[in-house]
Amino acid sequence: MRCATWAVIGLFGTTAFAADSGEDRALSLTIYNQNLALVEHVRPLKLAAGRQRVEFAGVSAQIVPETVSFSAANLDLIEQNFDYDLLTPTKLMEKAVGGKVRLVRTNPATGAETSETAEVLSTTGGTVLRIGSRIEVLRDDNLPARVIFDKVPDNLRARPTLSVLVDAEQPIDQDVKLTYLSHGLSWAADYVAVFDELRGALSVQGWITLTNTSGTTFTNARAQLVAGDLHITDSESAWVNDQRNKAQRIAGTASGTAQPLADYYVYPIKQLTTIADKQDKQVSFLESANVKASKGYEVSFGGFDSSDQPLSAQVRVRFSNSKDAGLGEQMPSGVVRVYARDARGQPQFIGEDRIGHTSAGSEIALRIGDAFDVTVTPTVLQTNRINKRTTEYQMSYLVRNAKGTPIVLTLRQDDLWRTNEVRAESIKGRRTDADSFAWDVPVAANGEATLTFTLRQGW
Amino acid sequence: MRASLAALCLLSAPVFGADEARVISSQPDSVSITIYRDFLALITETRTVDLPADAVTLEFDGVVETLIPQSAVVADTGRAVQEANYDFDRLSPAGLLRKSIGKQVTLTRTNRRTGKASQVAATIVSANGDGVVFSTLEGKEALHCSGLPEKLTFDEIPDNLKQKPTLSIHLAAGAAGKRQVRVSYIAQGFGWAADYVAHVNADTSRMDLSGWVTLRNFTGARFADAQVQVVAGRLNLLDAEEGGSSSIGDTSQYHNEKDLASARKERLEDLETDSGDDLDGLSYFQGCYPLGPPYFPVPRKMRREAMGVVDSILAQDLEEIVVTGFRGSLVERENLADYQMYRLPWKTELGARQTKQVAFLHKPDVTVDRFYGLRISADAEESEVDQSDDRMHLHIRIGWKNTKTDGLGEPLPGGIVRIFDRNGGESVFAGEDSIEDTPVGVPSEITIGRSPDVTLAMQGEPEDPIPTALSFLTKRVYMPMELTITNAKPRPVVVEIRQGYLFESTDLRVVDANLPATRKSGDFAWRFTLPANGERQLTYRVGGKVQDYRDFED
Repeated sequence: MRCATWAVIGLFGTTAFAADSGEDRALSLTIYNQNLALVEHVRPLKLAAGRQRVEFAGVSAQIVPETVSFSAANLDLIEQNFDYDLLTPTKLMEKAVGGKVRLVRTNPATGAETSETAEVLSTTGGTVLRIGSRIEVLRDDNLPARVIFDKVPDNLRARPTLSVLVDAEQPIDQDVKLTYLSHGLSWAADYVAVFDELRGALSVQGWITLTNTSGTTFTNARAQLVAGDLHITDSESAWVNDQRNKAQRIAGTASGTAQPLADYYVYPIKQLTTIADKQDKQVSFLESANVKASKGYEVSFGGFDSSDQPLSAQVRVRFSNSKDAGLGEQMPSGVVRVYARDARGQPQFIGEDRIGHTSAGSEIALRIGDAFDVTVTPTVLQTNRINKRTTEYQMSYLVRNAKGTPIVLTLRQDDLWRTNEVRAESIKGRRTDADSFAWDVPVAANGEATLTFTLRQGW
Repeated sequence: MRASLAALCLLSAPVFGADEARVISSQPDSVSITIYRDFLALITETRTVDLPADAVTLEFDGVVETLIPQSAVVADTGRAVQEANYDFDRLSPAGLLRKSIGKQVTLTRTNRRTGKASQVAATIVSANGDGVVFSTLEGKEALHCSGLPEKLTFDEIPDNLKQKPTLSIHLAAGAAGKRQVRVSYIAQGFGWAADYVAHVNADTSRMDLSGWVTLRNFTGARFADAQVQVVAGRLNLLDAEEGGSSSIGDTSQYHNEKDLASARKERLEDLETDSGDDLDGLSYFQGCYPLGPPYFPVPRKMRREAMGVVDSILAQDLEEIVVTGFRGSLVERENLADYQMYRLPWKTELGARQTKQVAFLHKPDVTVDRFYGLRISADAEESEVDQSDDRMHLHIRIGWKNTKTDGLGEPLPGGIVRIFDRNGGESVFAGEDSIEDTPVGVPSEITIGRSPDVTLAMQGEPEDPIPTALSFLTKRVYMPMELTITNAKPRPVVVEIRQGYLFESTDLRVVDANLPATRKSGDFAWRFTLPANGERQLTYRVGGKVQDYRDFED
């Protein structure tokens, strides 16, 4: 009966009501890549005059209730409620305290049923019942006993529910707008990059993956995606942001074609789209078949140690998202999966790396994996304490290349102390940083090369 | 009434454009599986589809359930892919209950005594992680709280619950006709490892080395006729929770191969014991109002039985792990970017939860260096003294160089090497160790055990180093070493003693040695042959520069 007095209004998907109203309605989603979305429902509302409660079904189950805003002309909003007291067996019993329930026991020997009325006295740690003049603990004998409740309390719900209490001066038949932020909707960019080493080219495809775990299906929505890290008071996402930009080497200064929104970029999805609950949806947003790219081998050492076991060199694929190199688009943060073609021409997966929000014209060096055939064996030839604060290291790095092609390995000595200098070296190196040096070591096909240097560091 | 309406809305919500044609590709024509060691595989399927000229939704049945949706690529469609969807709201007990809120179901109660079942119509009022509440003509009740056997029966499967997670794409309009499309994606739950069997002939220093690829399918997917490859090498992978493909976290967080190997081992154990049961099962819906005290929890097994889940299913799952051996023929190797790829030369069947072994290497005559070694160093775990006889037992070591001239010269993917000693016609298991990815030209050394017969005794406990008369100038202090190495074997053995840093110092030096030392990987080293039942003294002083030599004065 209750629902007849409530105006259950044109929620999307309620075909019955939508057909009745026959009015235009809209749903728009602005999705951020931080598990957050701005949801805007435009719904037809038909009300009689007077004070009444309007319930909105079909809103996101992960709504952030304090962000809800409801706007409608000729309608005074009295209060706004978000009931998320979910109906569970425990809640049902708690709300029955002081009330009556029916107890149906089954005799384990005969299977005969007996029914009694009981008053619920307490549910703390166990359910205490008064049956006639006796006080009992429910099922403390572990024998079967059904508890039957007359009704479900009004404010316990199967799903979180948003409702407003409004006062209409006159009967209303108009569109109203409901906006709120919701969790459970997020997007990420995913890139598929096929690397052709011989041609020195990458073919890049960018996909936006929308993920809906909000518990609600959004039907025929106008969706747009916002790239850029919004400041959100959530320490975990701040940490993730810090991790993102590892692959970017030089920040770009060019503009791409995406439409800017304040300081962020917006990617609208052209057609109306339906995002079902528990669905991943992918939409293509970037495609370039011929991006200039090169491969490099890198290895870095953070200290001076000997090792019997050779270390593998890291493989990096370097490219620029500048226009000249064939891309010229900003790239939202995401995972780049890199493929290479095998001997039969079939693309095979060779590794993945994350890029941060990358403006157009940036230099990117993706870490792909470790080279099977390029290894480095470090040996400390000599260490020497020069004085209390200064030590000299004589290092030898044996680089082996088991590939049939010559390579150049960039070897870095990182994390040096405050004062540091190279005093002798077999190959001319360069200072890359206040606390690091790098050497480019050429190694012939199926060959070996040794880099030796003497480095003095102190504090 | 309101509740049932809401449920109806949910069901009528179309998942795809309702007016669009739908083509279902029920199975691939051919499948290629490339398995990586980090428990993932690239699946590449070729499918023939008959497309209408209009815009169409193309649905791919039978994709592997563990697929990572972001990795899915559909190629060769000849049309623009407008969007791709992956619906993972699969049919499960939890999904069924969740989608049945407000719907009518049948509740069956069975009398334990008489076995008589009684059925009533019930409406699910609420179902969530804290329990299920239903309503009958009698009133509202909580499911599985009465202690009676209670079972729910559903009339039908809600529309948008798929029996399997489904991958589909929307294609724009284009030319009608048959096409071969390629669907590729990364799926978790596959793995492979390299295993080596080495028969070593002690007298001749020769080794017969064979390598096996052990590939595993932990998923429920079954491939009848698949092209299988495995890739050796360390890929950079990101944590699946952060949008990557790895189930063992970012691989770059493992600083060395050993850490990565132990993470892989841990994951392997998890996968082996995992029954494949999902977390979204019935247990999700357990929850009752307070019962007790005293509360006797129903054992999990009974509870599962009460819910119609029988534990023996799990046991059966495990029994399905089959080891299939293909002996005799070798797989083909090719370079893939900077990795090694091994391709099975024939198409093969890969069953659900199956283990398969194929040979990839056989080198019958590898020159090996078998010796007894010990490294003496402050940071060497191996130089501990055996409590039983106060002696250090030398490690039985086998080394080889990965070159053609030494009978090898093949890339060796990292894995476990099991050594069998050939003694006349018989082989005895002598021990095992692991090797890391080893390219051609790189030497390897493994330890297969400790020798009971080749031992070392140190005269006097190593104490503090001693300053010399010149320490005020050289800053050097020295520790005298006096070692006796004994061979209790009736044949000569090769011994290698290595000396690293023994105390906090720089500029490691060995002086006054009674046998000239060489250098090995930063250490000082001695190599000599001990005659049968012989022994040898090794004396030297090991020292280095210290911050303040006076710390070591008496």
